[in-house]
Amino acid sequence: MSAATPFAVVGVAIVGAFAVAWLEGVVAGRPSPVPVIRGVGRTLSEPMSAPATYDRWLFHMAPTLLLVAALVALSTVPWTPGFRGIDTEAGVILFAGALAYVTPAVFMAGWGAGGGLAVVGGFRFLGLMLAYAMPLAMVLTAVGAPAESLRPAAIVEVQANVPMAIVQPLALALFVPSVMAVAFIPPFDLPQASSELGGGAFSRYSGLEAGLVALSQRILVVAVAGMTAAVFLGGWHGPLLPAAVWMVLKTAAVAGLMLWAGRRLPRVEIDRLLAFAWKVPIPLSILAIGWGGLVTLLFYR
Amino acid sequence: MSDLGVALVVWPSAAILLVTALYVFRTASMARAGLLLLASLGVEGLIFLALASEFLGALQLLMMSGEMVLMVFFMVMFMPDPGGLMGMDMTHDKRRAQAFAVAAGIALALVAVLTDWPAGTLNADAVDVRAIGFEVMGRSMFTFLFAGMTLMFTMIGGTLLAKQGGRYRVGAPSGELRDAGDEGR
Repeated sequence: MSAATPFAVVGVAIVGAFAVAWLEGVVAGRPSPVPVIRGVGRTLSEPMSAPATYDRWLFHMAPTLLLVAALVALSTVPWTPGFRGIDTEAGVILFAGALAYVTPAVFMAGWGAGGGLAVVGGFRFLGLMLAYAMPLAMVLTAVGAPAESLRPAAIVEVQANVPMAIVQPLALALFVPSVMAVAFIPPFDLPQASSELGGGAFSRYSGLEAGLVALSQRILVVAVAGMTAAVFLGGWHGPLLPAAVWMVLKTAAVAGLMLWAGRRLPRVEIDRLLAFAWKVPIPLSILAIGWGGLVTLLFYR
Repeated sequence: MSDLGVALVVWPSAAILLVTALYVFRTASMARAGLLLLASLGVEGLIFLALASEFLGALQLLMMSGEMVLMVFFMVMFMPDPGGLMGMDMTHDKRRAQAFAVAAGIALALVAVLTDWPAGTLNADAVDVRAIGFEVMGRSMFTFLFAGMTLMFTMIGGTLLAKQGGRYRVGAPSGELRDAGDEGR
């Protein structure tokens, strides 16, 4: 890690967030990037405001906590053999740990705003956490088993011949909806739910703070798409093209598919989703850990 | 990290840990209390990371967030005054409680300061490290599992109590789910 690494990660975050905002337009049938730039200008030119009665600390700390969580999650993603923000032996745990702070941030935004719909938005996301947190963390240990390491780069290295998506398809099927829920993109956009809660947990933010929330959510999409590409799709491995290009292509494909699927599915209902999550995905993720151990013993030793 | 770098993370983090832990008991808002506790325990994770205990630090950050956010969930669900705006007071027998708390705090601090802590560094393949691993994964595992199951049953029981209309029976389901004790009302 050099002194330039933190700046490089922030650069990836900003460029990636713009790319995700543009991808959102593309999957909606508006391929022009101009509205994205206009939207940023419009948001930043608004003054910041706050509700009449609110919890000052929670309300103003929430966007920053969301941004920090998104940036730390992004920095654990291995982009090329030589470039990643934080390279630690417990990398995927740190990834899940950073994502775990999205929940308190969204709850703080909703509770802090002190309005009925905002609190409902924050609380729905707390409920959603019960559904996605367990599959997310358990699946990450399952894909770590073949590499015998929780270092993301080591998990990429073990996929030099066969991507993990082929070896552990169940883990991938559990991982993708979980990380879409963490990034609260449709169909898991419960905290903001623009058509029923009118912005929900984030409805009272304006100006710079609203911009920070929008930026953080898109950085989250880059982080989770990047990690999906790294631990399931072979990361930087691929013929002909350079490592970084493969990683960018795979990340863009995953992010595009997530956003495309989100536009075509109805928003989930929190009570039905929780009833389903406790009966199907959480037991299945225990099965995924068992499967991960089995393939490790059979093929990777 | 250099010694100075470690010190620059550890000591301010320790100060934040203590201050946020103190303010857990100074606020009446259940949301603030839970989130302050999360801040306190999350900063403890940063201390572990700074002391090069990567797995423990990352795991502390991950687990504490989930647990403390769940605690906020349960506290707001069960407390009659979750926002802390109605002047609810949960303390009683204050003078004796304060005296006991101060005495216990001083005693624990003395133990921490006066103990002759071992200063040596062990390699990963040292006998002690292996012994700890066998202890944790062997004999002690039954205790851990039992404690974990007990906690889970407590949570499920609490949720069931909260579900049937809550403590005020507001919106209790009608018909067969209403228990026999309600007949006499």
